[in-house]
Amino acid sequence: MKNFLKSKDSAIVAYGELKNERRSGWTAYELASQVMSQLLEKTSLRPCDIDGLALTIPLSECSNPFWSNFVADYLGITPRWLQASDLGGISALANIARAAAAIQVGLCEMVMVIGADAPSTQHRANYGGYRSEFWEPTGLQGPPGMFGFLMNRYITKYKLSFEALGKLAVAQRNGAIMNPNAYEKNRVPITVADYLNARQVSSPLRLLDSVMYCDGGNGVIVTTTERARRMGARKIVHPTAYAEITNFNGAQMTPDITETGFSVIGPEIWQKSDLAIGDIRMFQPYDDFLIAEMLQLEQIGFCGRGEGSEFLLNTDISPAGKLPINTGGGQISAGQPGLAGGGLNLVEAVRQMFGEAGERQIKDPANAMVTGIGVIPYGRNWGSSAILILES
Amino acid sequence: MSERQHKPSRPIPRPCRTTAPFWEAAKQHKLVLQYDPDTDRYQFWPRPASVRTGRANLQWKEASGKGRLYSFTNTFVAAPGFEERVPYLVGIVELDEGVRVFSNLVNVAAAEVEIGMKMRVVWETLSPEIEFFAFEPDR
Repeated sequence: MKNFLKSKDSAIVAYGELKNERRSGWTAYELASQVMSQLLEKTSLRPCDIDGLALTIPLSECSNPFWSNFVADYLGITPRWLQASDLGGISALANIARAAAAIQVGLCEMVMVIGADAPSTQHRANYGGYRSEFWEPTGLQGPPGMFGFLMNRYITKYKLSFEALGKLAVAQRNGAIMNPNAYEKNRVPITVADYLNARQVSSPLRLLDSVMYCDGGNGVIVTTTERARRMGARKIVHPTAYAEITNFNGAQMTPDITETGFSVIGPEIWQKSDLAIGDIRMFQPYDDFLIAEMLQLEQIGFCGRGEGSEFLLNTDISPAGKLPINTGGGQISAGQPGLAGGGLNLVEAVRQMFGEAGERQIKDPANAMVTGIGVIPYGRNWGSSAILILES
Repeated sequence: MSERQHKPSRPIPRPCRTTAPFWEAAKQHKLVLQYDPDTDRYQFWPRPASVRTGRANLQWKEASGKGRLYSFTNTFVAAPGFEERVPYLVGIVELDEGVRVFSNLVNVAAAEVEIGMKMRVVWETLSPEIEFFAFEPDR
């Protein structure tokens, strides 16, 4: 299977991330600018050195059809290649793949990939289409409702241990406590009992199964490995394999909703990558809800279908463990900066691989698997799925 | 911005040209579905063309209004306009015609709901123009 990233010609040379806050009062434009300042300071680049810009369309500014153009103006960047992705939680990973491809064909050379969103300050999404006509009149809460459906269906088919999900919740909370960028109110310990006793939001989904919207932002700089060396970058990670799928089972009216796009791209990533599943040093999966991580573990192949609970109960997923998972707290404990949320899992992987994760630093961070999930469709599983492998 | 000046009301569908026949039939309490004659299959929600062939030759056919519960959730945090109904049940009903619909589950207590149970359509008046479908147990 063709893999345009295999040669390690693409490099990530810097990451930036803001602390998640609730109702910060910032706009996404301001947050994007703050991310840029971090990226430029770390690389000693100036705005005029950036010739490519890839952005995630945010909830807070999606009413502007010229969002990416406005951001370029805010930042003082004159892109020769500009990308605005409406892929929700996979946008950060998708933008790295698109940036690497654009660089390889010569459209640009130094790309800033930024996600910034402020949905807890202002939320302007209006979906229209089938959603306003056939979904919203039922009062179904978007993501929590759909994941409630998904969990109930999973329970009819497989054995689900809520203790296993509780263990994952606690592990991620421990990560958030060690992550200065996590939403401050979440930086307190929880127990498995706290998880089990948390109030239900959309049964059987509990409050501690779920993310909470914050305002925040994150980003990376992607360039060629050759340019990275020339500019004297001391720390580099290479995206080495990527797979993406949207509208999974899109033409099916009655698919199994517990089957996700990862059932396609999970097997595919192992064909594209030189790494085998046992080589993966850390897993930074997109985590809007805990059950989503379990489905990914199963469908990417860390364990079999229905074995996610056993796997979580029997595996050390802490930073010192066999398979560290969402070491910075993930979005569930660190906060979800709106549709920039997918970048949180990504930036944690890069930070770990740069050896800059402080007290939650894992040993030998030679590679990482990062994933994304985006968009909730009508009566099926989630819409978009993506997997990115990073290697040093 | 999250503070609302006015109490939100339950969203009411605004038909488009493709979906207008669905809502016209709904006024007569008929649940109609798009039927694809090329593949002998139904689809929902209504689209301008068949998701299987891409052809715009779909026909409207009345459905039985019966099906089985595919999954459900009991909602404790209200969507805007549903504050007074909390907690309320929403389900995915798989119709006998082989499509799924999102629907409120009515005339049933949360403790009685079971995946796989037989369901039948009932209608709720949302506005003078819109009758909206819900499902109740088909006992």
